Amino acid sequence: MNYISLIEYLPYIFEGLLWSLALVLGGLGIGFTIGLPIGTMITYSDKYTKFILNVYIWIFRSTPLIVLLFLFYWGVFPNIGLKLSPLITSIIVLGLRSGAYQSEIFRGALESIDEGQILAAYSLGMSKIQAIISITIPQALRISIPSLSNEYAILLKDSAICFTIGVLEVLTRARIVSIATGIALIPYLIAGIILMMMTYIGLKFFHTVYKKTVIPGLIEGI
Amino acid sequence: MKKLRYVIIGLIIGLIIGGFTGYIYRGAPESTEYSYPKGKFTYPPSSDIQVTIVYGFDPEYPPFTQVLPNGSATGFDIDVINWIAKKYGWKIIYKPWDWSTIVDALVRGDIDIIASGMTITASRCEKIWFSIPYYSYVHELVVRINENRSFDNILNSGEYIAVQIGSTADEWAERLLKSGYKFKKLGLNSYVEVLDALLDGRASAIITDSAFLGPYLRKNPDIASKIKVLTTIGPPYTYGIATRPEDTWLRNMINKALEELMNSPEWDVLLRKWNLSG
Repeated sequence: MNYISLIEYLPYIFEGLLWSLALVLGGLGIGFTIGLPIGTMITYSDKYTKFILNVYIWIFRSTPLIVLLFLFYWGVFPNIGLKLSPLITSIIVLGLRSGAYQSEIFRGALESIDEGQILAAYSLGMSKIQAIISITIPQALRISIPSLSNEYAILLKDSAICFTIGVLEVLTRARIVSIATGIALIPYLIAGIILMMMTYIGLKFFHTVYKKTVIPGLIEGI
Repeated sequence: MKKLRYVIIGLIIGLIIGGFTGYIYRGAPESTEYSYPKGKFTYPPSSDIQVTIVYGFDPEYPPFTQVLPNGSATGFDIDVINWIAKKYGWKIIYKPWDWSTIVDALVRGDIDIIASGMTITASRCEKIWFSIPYYSYVHELVVRINENRSFDNILNSGEYIAVQIGSTADEWAERLLKSGYKFKKLGLNSYVEVLDALLDGRASAIITDSAFLGPYLRKNPDIASKIKVLTTIGPPYTYGIATRPEDTWLRNMINKALEELMNSPEWDVLLRKWNLSG
């Protein structure tokens, strides 16, 4: 076994961390930007808007990520005249897909808030939009943090599929190193440890935010 | 209001019927055989333009193409392309790409050539065209050193035979299964994993190719002492450099350079450097 060359390859694997971070943070960011308004509209708008938004959610939740990547990289973007890099395409596709999942997270959080709060807001002279923005969304954001941390962990591991269009993230680099060094297991273990650390740091961040913003009395044990 | 509704419904029905009729009675498509549109490298570029070739390769195929710890590309095919690029003064952009989608990446213009131990096959030639062949290899059935059974006995044992998924060795395993042999196929991600499966006993034999196995065993004599090639399978296969069908100029330039390189002493130096001779 060529362990010395494996050590030489370690920086190459770690370099993939930046790509993985770009994919996950970009995907989560776009997903949040799309997911929050869609989740809110699905909860509070009319049935026609709900139907259209549910079609978007259904498409992006039911289509495998690899199909979406191919569809956008080789189909949608070139046909509308956009020649985007594999990394940007991957971030957008991960974002659109995460947006579908996040919209369901926010919908669930918004629906868990007692309707009486909106009625109380009306009685104070607030409009529906004011009530949603000032009363329900701030609470929904806090309630949805544990589910968002779950979405982060899933997105981190799903991002490995982006190599099919040329993005060299951590897991792909581990595979390349495994073949270059002839060591089958250790590079994957290293990638696994890196991903575990990234998951731990991310989850810790979400947990800290949750603890700092938790609504007193809403959920016990925090 | 009612009239307007009827007009709109009539228009929609008309469009649907018209669309279907047009689709059914559409003319036969024009023959595209040998009439590829002008491509990026169909004709020689003007002399003041720096030719830049985006070179797609599988980073997981040593000794032909792999990456160094600093992320740069290395291997026999990389050296060949570098030699060609130096001869013509081309600039090369190296782009590692997943093997499963590399042909589509070439067809759609993400990369301009593939030189990564790519076997010339009839099915691939429907989408991409190859240079002259530059390396040939055979498929081999490999077993552990203490294996005493014959080819037929192993292939009819019902035991696992490992192959790399999507490789030409995988195609051979499928062919052997279709021809009536009774074994279980163990599909793995890479030849290294396939070899591992043989060494740790998960597979009784493996199907691999001499292009991978020969150099690998010369580099790892400890593994070479634990396994043996039982027999070869099928005819020899050849590697070529893939280009888009319409890139005639590029292909001709590559062919000219390859011919020159293969007839020069440097070719043997390259083969020896990457353990590919003998």
